Amino acid sequence: MTSNAQSGSGFARTSGPPEQAELVLPRRDWLLLPGISLLTICLLAGSTEFIARRVFSVSNTGMPGCVLFNNSSAGLRAVPNSVCWVKDPEGPPVEYRFNSRGHRAGKELLPKQPGIFRIVMVGSSTAMGDQVAQEKTFAALLPNELSQRTGRSIELYNEAMVAEYPQNIASRFDEVLAAKPDMILWIITPFDIRVVSAVPLSADVKKRIAQGLVANVWSRMKGAAAARSMSGAMAALSDHSRAAFLTRHFLFQSQSQYVKSYLMGPEGEFLKTKTDAEWQSYLSRFTVAVAAVEDQAKAAGVPLVAVLVPYRAQVAMVSMGQWPPGCDPYQLDNKVRSIIESDGGIYVDVLPAFRTIPNPEQGFFSMDTHPDAEGHRMIALSLAKELTSRAVPQLVAVSRAKSEIGFGR
Amino acid sequence: MDTASFQFVFFGLAAALVSNFSRSRIWRSIVLMVASLAFLGLLEHNPLVFLPLIGFLLLGYASLILLERGWSRAVAWSIIAVLFVYIWLKKYTFLPAGIFLHGPYLTLGLSYIFFRVLHLLIDTGDGDKQRHIGIGSYLLYLLNFTTLISGPIQRYDEFARDQFAAEPLALGPRVIGLQLERIVRGFFKVNVLGMIFDMIRVDALAQMSYQLSPSFKTYAAFKLIVAYPLFLYANFSGYIDIVIAVARLMRVRLPENFDRPFSASSFLDFWSRWHITLSTWFKSYVYNPLLMVLMRRNSSVAMEPFLGVFCFFVTFFLVGIWHGRTSEFLVYGLLQGGGVSINKLWQVMLTRRLGRKGYKALAGNPVYVAFGRGLTFSWFALSLFWLWASWSQIDVVFAALDAFRWFGVWAGLWLLATVFLALWEWLRARLLSIETAEGPALTSRYARVVYASALGLAAFVMTVLLSQPAPGIVYKAF
Repeated sequence: MTSNAQSGSGFARTSGPPEQAELVLPRRDWLLLPGISLLTICLLAGSTEFIARRVFSVSNTGMPGCVLFNNSSAGLRAVPNSVCWVKDPEGPPVEYRFNSRGHRAGKELLPKQPGIFRIVMVGSSTAMGDQVAQEKTFAALLPNELSQRTGRSIELYNEAMVAEYPQNIASRFDEVLAAKPDMILWIITPFDIRVVSAVPLSADVKKRIAQGLVANVWSRMKGAAAARSMSGAMAALSDHSRAAFLTRHFLFQSQSQYVKSYLMGPEGEFLKTKTDAEWQSYLSRFTVAVAAVEDQAKAAGVPLVAVLVPYRAQVAMVSMGQWPPGCDPYQLDNKVRSIIESDGGIYVDVLPAFRTIPNPEQGFFSMDTHPDAEGHRMIALSLAKELTSRAVPQLVAVSRAKSEIGFGR
Repeated sequence: MDTASFQFVFFGLAAALVSNFSRSRIWRSIVLMVASLAFLGLLEHNPLVFLPLIGFLLLGYASLILLERGWSRAVAWSIIAVLFVYIWLKKYTFLPAGIFLHGPYLTLGLSYIFFRVLHLLIDTGDGDKQRHIGIGSYLLYLLNFTTLISGPIQRYDEFARDQFAAEPLALGPRVIGLQLERIVRGFFKVNVLGMIFDMIRVDALAQMSYQLSPSFKTYAAFKLIVAYPLFLYANFSGYIDIVIAVARLMRVRLPENFDRPFSASSFLDFWSRWHITLSTWFKSYVYNPLLMVLMRRNSSVAMEPFLGVFCFFVTFFLVGIWHGRTSEFLVYGLLQGGGVSINKLWQVMLTRRLGRKGYKALAGNPVYVAFGRGLTFSWFALSLFWLWASWSQIDVVFAALDAFRWFGVWAGLWLLATVFLALWEWLRARLLSIETAEGPALTSRYARVVYASALGLAAFVMTVLLSQPAPGIVYKAF
């Protein structure tokens, strides 16, 4: 070897460290080392859980104070003139103030003034503005956007309610028509298609809610042990662990990681090009509910415009412009469009608007997947753009330039 | 199984456990062979996909037998044949596509088998080692599951020394504890650190094609350039940690492949710390012979350092192009060869200008070392674009910013790496200076248990929560 191949010459100096001398462990270490390991694990897990519960705190009182469940056809109804403060793990503390009709509309329903174009919005938690201050919801932002684009006075009355699924909307449609709408805007989410109708909580779920956290986890662990299911036990732990929540929350800040994880889970089934039988049955039930809603709108002579507000994974995928083989973020939109349009409704597709928004998924809570305030702003802009692009004759934009305003960051 | 998964770790630990049922070398060899064949069987279920690999192994063994029988003239031809078959099986794109095999077949680990076969042929052909290698030993050496996928590239003598020793290496509680700790560390590197850095890279790559402000894109470019070397280190060194530990539990010492590469103060130093067994192989079989040939042909003493510079370029150009089959790797090779040879030239020029003592003093200056470390990291990070990205991705990435901003990203990285790595070295030295009666507190068995437990918990939680495989071991594709 020449001098060029000495230390620091681009080649290794040795083949490895000298072998450690074989030592016998002192007897106390046979207990001490496992003890240290156990203590480390307990301390780390405990402190992470403690921090996570501080960072992702939840309010002790929640929506149950403001909502009632009367029967499965009506679904959840808010107590008129009630106010609740709710803090979910990822969101800020949010006030839910319901008017005298039990709607989170930000105002009372007054008789319609002449020259005003009234939109009544229906839908579930996303449309109601779950975890977002009322004035920042797209329901609050949209009228101003539409008015600017169309040059008309447009107001929007929000009748959306958490867990108000398609069948519930169909069953209380008289309430929607009572607001004298010029147009009904129906906000649909993939979850609404899956659930279709609110169901009363089962005795088991009620019991679980009533139980404390530890008792809850313990009973699920016992169930998993009885079923000899390791994954069940892990799921019981991770579902209730705020440390697990924290870990997922931060990992899901990554666009690519979130999409990958979402598509691997059962929730991502609707994004597969070959959806399973379960999703086919969801779509069949949804078709029936849509027909019931559209028949009533048609009979009342009120145009019905339906919008599928995309999920976090969908907007991430369209923004990335690529997705794994066998998946398609646009697929559900296309199916919903055909269901809505086959019964004479108008379908507005907002998903393509997210193609040009960098990291749009950051406008959605990463675990909860509802849109946050930024997400509501994006939805309001894309909805306004699509609603005024000749999809609805009454809402044609007067100036194209207005409709191009920005999503930029 | 071809990544640092729970399954791979459990497979390795199970093989190690069974291997230790007896200290007999025959028993240990049988266990290693069965484990290696089972490992291959778990990788691929169709036996037909192994046929090209079997053919390659037989070609290597036939050549070895010829050389052992004194056919020294066959050395060159056997090397050429092995080299050609390797290139053909790996489907290098400069060969016409029509000559390739079109059915599916296994090439996983072929590169590492290739290096070991050439090592056997060259050493045997040189007549340095008078030995006979039986077919069983030959297959055991080449198919050893701990070195099959991504190395390290172990020399036959080192393998035989431990594997066939009448008195195998000692394996007491302390050694077992150290190896288990290393497995946990490796698992954490691959499944937590590697996954996080890869996530950052993929997101940053997507952001480079978004309509974002130049400052946002500059930030994305910075993340992109920093994330990949860290990912690659975590991914590859983590896997190597696991296989070295598993092999040691089977009473075989594998050579180290990494020695804190980002502490290197020069690009030359870097390549003595990164993929050590690869650079050692190239030193033995490319650099040294080439330098000797050139020196024999050119007796000028003044030219000697420049011949070294040239040999460095050739060697590390080959190291670079070995990594892949496409034209991107030509650039990667040029950047590796260029980096090492310019570094050597710089040393030669400075030594001439300052004298040996002056250069030594400069090279020991902490500020010079820190800047050298930062430059080494930033150069390596930049060169890696041609390792992981295709030309179309490279186009997108470099079109996203103008040349001035790209220079800013690279210069900023140099400065930040200089400061950050200097702080890291300082912190590490301070922590290691805390001594107990048995040595540095940080490396005591108590401290190791603490951080192995913490890393193990983090890796377990992450793996279970995400329930998806970490990115595959990058070097298994080479």
